[in-house]
Amino acid sequence: MISDIFLTIITMVFALMVVFSKKTVVSAFALLMTMLSIAMIYFQLGTVFLAAIQVLINAGAIAVLFIFVMMLINLEQFQNNREKGKVKLVISAITILIILGVFALIINNNIEVLAVNNIADNSMLLMFDKLFHVYYLPFEMATVLLLAALVACVVITGHEKNAKVELEGDKHE
Amino acid sequence: MLEGILEILIKIVVVLGIPLGALPIIIHVERRGAGFIQRRLGPNRVGPFGLLQPLADVAKFMFKEEVHPTHVRPFFYTAAPLIALVVALLPLACIPLFGTFEFDGRTIYPEVFRSDMGIFYAFAVSALGSYGILLAGWASNNKYTMLGALRACAQMVSYELSLSTAIVAMIFVFGTNDIHGIVGAQTGYWFGFLPKWGIFVQPVAGMLFLVGIFAESNRLPFDLAEGESEIVAGYHLEYSSMKFAIFFMAEYIHMLALSALFIIFFFGGYSLLPGLDLIPTDNAFILPLLQAVSFITKIAIMVWVFVWVRWTLPRFRYDQLMDLGWKRLLPLGLVNLIVTVLFVYFRNQ
Amino acid sequence: MSSIYYYLAGFLFCTGLLGTIFKKDLISILLCLELMMGGVSLLTVLFSRSTGVLESQLLVFFMLIVSACEVAIGLSLIIALYRKKQTIYTDDIKIITE
Repeated sequence: MISDIFLTIITMVFALMVVFSKKTVVSAFALLMTMLSIAMIYFQLGTVFLAAIQVLINAGAIAVLFIFVMMLINLEQFQNNREKGKVKLVISAITILIILGVFALIINNNIEVLAVNNIADNSMLLMFDKLFHVYYLPFEMATVLLLAALVACVVITGHEKNAKVELEGDKHE
Repeated sequence: MLEGILEILIKIVVVLGIPLGALPIIIHVERRGAGFIQRRLGPNRVGPFGLLQPLADVAKFMFKEEVHPTHVRPFFYTAAPLIALVVALLPLACIPLFGTFEFDGRTIYPEVFRSDMGIFYAFAVSALGSYGILLAGWASNNKYTMLGALRACAQMVSYELSLSTAIVAMIFVFGTNDIHGIVGAQTGYWFGFLPKWGIFVQPVAGMLFLVGIFAESNRLPFDLAEGESEIVAGYHLEYSSMKFAIFFMAEYIHMLALSALFIIFFFGGYSLLPGLDLIPTDNAFILPLLQAVSFITKIAIMVWVFVWVRWTLPRFRYDQLMDLGWKRLLPLGLVNLIVTVLFVYFRNQ
Repeated sequence: MSSIYYYLAGFLFCTGLLGTIFKKDLISILLCLELMMGGVSLLTVLFSRSTGVLESQLLVFFMLIVSACEVAIGLSLIIALYRKKQTIYTDDIKIITE
């Protein structure tokens, strides 16, 4: 009860920090905290496996990647020339309020149907049984997708071609 | 209800108390061991055999003036050591010091966080260990700290992969991911004398894991994060007095937690040392006590191995480190994993 | 009371959307995309817990894999762009419109 509200408030605060903080590094750390609190919510809902995976992948790997890249390209040199479009902000805020309202309406009408069962069960074994017997093809495809992403990263940030460009940039300055 | 809360509180105090209490001893062993290996004396002035030196060091750290540089980002600069320490302490929550036992009609579990996902939890949380270092490096606003943090982060992310392949192979071998199940599978002897430890089944995975934990805890020969000759002192360059000591503590606790995991997978965890199982266990408390003694002895040996390696091997160069991680250990781990999986598959046929 | 998480999932999605529209640099946009992804995953887990269908949890697992790939490729594109143009601002990248 109290923990639900507490987790919700924490997640909301960090999510707002992601969007509204001035420094990008701060918003990356806020994203990390959001991911950790979502993992806590998963844990609260009894899906321990997803909580562990969430911490391992989203908080442990993805946020590290973000922060690493930010530090590589020295983001702070850009902080000053950042401009704000007030009109854009207002219009998008209104749009989002409407979306949120529609969402709340849908949830409010179906609240009895959507009652959440948060008792931990040993669903992990059942889940893996499904994963490796029924859905093994998507699982294999996911590994192929990861491999493709790995190769793509190496190719995109490849060394030889871009090294020349960097040198030219230096000369230009 | 109240009993449950009390039980968890006692567990938390034990789980936090043992590593934090052992820290001064480990640091003393490290310094004396360094002296022993380099044929000098080491700290031996304060108290008998210099045993009170850690206390003197703590007093020094406490009362030293705290230098707070003006060019740092204050909030993150203060938060970084605390984050490093807390994250290092988290994996200890699911490491059992001894087996389950019956007390007062109830089954007592030694872990604070009892789950069948204990292993996943430990590795997920220890993957967060790079944040304290990254934050410290960034918040100090200094190019050397930044370089150290980036090095540490890239190194930890790279070596997690070979670590994970080793763990997956071990989980296949034991057929379970429950820590008590893993330890139970390693209890007993082959041919009457060889303990059924995982290292004898999977020596390659054991080697991968050992190299991985040296890299994960940023210890020599992989302490590129603080290579003194290149980047002064790495990520904790701007820290002084107690904040610096907290980074030190976090490093040692991370090392302890990873050694405990290594022992659980490859040296039988809390299963009794050869010889200790001859003692009759008529009292209910004798067995957990013996198990705890076995586990702590194994961890102590592991800590000595850390010290030994630290003062024996020279530091790697950074490209050598990355080559070793990505081009040697990861393919080796994958091949080992495939061979293991095929072996387990055909054994179960 | 756990149904409060439904609103939270919607809130996360909408906050991420707001950021995606409103932010100026590419890394922040990717961060906000991750936020949206988090909201959607949370909603999927909630559906799984309310209906008892395990497949939705598997779906979250696959979504995590896809978001990891997305972030990796997105960030490497950003690095390549930075090497070429020395900027990561969306306003500076108008080579197609010029």
